[in-house]
Amino acid sequence: MAFDSCLQVLLIEKDAEKAQKMINALDPEKYSVTHLSSGSAVFLRLVEEYQPDLILMDVESPDRDIVESLSVMSAANPKPVVMFSQNEDTDTINSLVKSGVSAYIVGDVDPTRVRTIIEIALARFDEHQQLKNELASTQQQLTKQKTVEQAKIWLMETKGLTEKEAYSLLRKNAMDMSQTIEHVAKNILSVATMLDM
Amino acid sequence: MTPLTLGFMPLTDCVPLVVAKHLGFFEKWGLDVTLCRQNSWATLRDKLHANLIDGAHMLAPMPFASALGLGGQAVDVVTPFVLSRQGNGITLSNHVFEECVGKHTAGIEYSLPLPASRLARLIDDRAQIGKKLTFATVFPYSCHFYQLRSWLAQYHIPIDAVNVIVVPPSKMVDAMKRGDIDGFCVGSPWNAQAVRSGIGVTAVTSCDIWPAMPEKVLGLKRTWGEENEASVVALIGALREACAWLVPLPNRFEAARMLSDKAYLDTQLDVLTPSLLGSCLTQVGQNPRSVPLYNLFGQENGTHDNCPSISQGEWVLNQMISAGHVKEDVRSQSFIASVFREDIYHCAVNAQTMHPKSEEISV
Repeated sequence: MAFDSCLQVLLIEKDAEKAQKMINALDPEKYSVTHLSSGSAVFLRLVEEYQPDLILMDVESPDRDIVESLSVMSAANPKPVVMFSQNEDTDTINSLVKSGVSAYIVGDVDPTRVRTIIEIALARFDEHQQLKNELASTQQQLTKQKTVEQAKIWLMETKGLTEKEAYSLLRKNAMDMSQTIEHVAKNILSVATMLDM
Repeated sequence: MTPLTLGFMPLTDCVPLVVAKHLGFFEKWGLDVTLCRQNSWATLRDKLHANLIDGAHMLAPMPFASALGLGGQAVDVVTPFVLSRQGNGITLSNHVFEECVGKHTAGIEYSLPLPASRLARLIDDRAQIGKKLTFATVFPYSCHFYQLRSWLAQYHIPIDAVNVIVVPPSKMVDAMKRGDIDGFCVGSPWNAQAVRSGIGVTAVTSCDIWPAMPEKVLGLKRTWGEENEASVVALIGALREACAWLVPLPNRFEAARMLSDKAYLDTQLDVLTPSLLGSCLTQVGQNPRSVPLYNLFGQENGTHDNCPSISQGEWVLNQMISAGHVKEDVRSQSFIASVFREDIYHCAVNAQTMHPKSEEISV
């Protein structure tokens, strides 16, 4: 598609004048802005339909809780959020940024700065998501290893097998039943728990 | 005087803070408190994390969410004080309510609180045509969401049988008016507002779902509490006095007047007062329900109702676990005790017995 490189931005702002300022600051060649004056159900539908690359909103907007809920309560993937604020001083913003918000734009809307902040926010968000995914997969891997390890120990203790034999038994069962070793290990452990009761 | 800034959301249950300020309890305890109204729970939380406010009126699950890094960075937030219990209700749009009870029946057969079983048929009917009812709550990690879940679960209706979205409390009534949502679970005064506007029926209150569980708590950063021990003792002292003052019913109307001020709820008395007086408005043209403990602020019968006990913390955490927001293996007495700090509460109360008892303060 022709607009593939164009960033989809969802702007939430009830003040039309402020919204226009923000839209003007964004290069139309690079950003395609959908403006919404308020959140609620319509907003959720829009996020799901358009899959925006970025949400832009005022930090004092009551709609912030809707945005916050997206990653927990809806099927939509988490989105980077850039918040603007006109009342806070730079120190304030720095502390808020450190506390986990994607990014803040302070004071008057200056086109060059807005672009830089958005780019940094997107980069940071990707980095953060990547870390989160890596962490999740590492944790999953660890649980998997732990389950297999426990099942092996149980087999060794109750059947008098060596570690190698226990592992071979797990693998053989997994192959025979076309299941993963982890799955077989889980089944063994649940039986083991029952027998130990 | 120690200057402190406390954040609050404009809801009826921020009243202990407002009373402590207006009746001079904070001042008496040496605190010069600025109450700072917030527009969203997420921004209130971020400001607490970032030390922009010293303490906050928080949803009871929020300190756990902060400690676990749900929806943000993990920051140790603790609560040494329960500000309120109850106060929420589930309101259904007139249309959905009529469908539940059968609209053309003369002398409609139903009683309140409405059991969720009445919704089951509607949910099934919608499912036949590939639709779902939509309910709104105020925040993912809120008692409101968990109460909605519990109410449905009483009749084995899983929460995913309905759509659940987040809508800010102040926009609930409009969202229902527009037909965006079929029902909501929200705190006072927004249920009463929906009934007064003639658009909904308050079918059940949080007292009917979970009696006496914490609703709002005072949230502090653990590190802030450690560095400001004297202020924590003073905050607890002032807030206990405010909560005790809120026990006699005649004081409740005065409290409603304070809350109606522009700086706080900026809402009319006919919407604000009922829940504070133990009255649950149900439906236009119907008598209100008597729900004496609708808004509970503590210390009734001289018990330590403001104490964030570990058993109540466990209750809150269990709700988060059963909703799938928190993993099972997080549940441990030591973790719960590190968030619901009954030790701080007791220390403060013991320290206060040393404090000279002051003369009565009148409105």
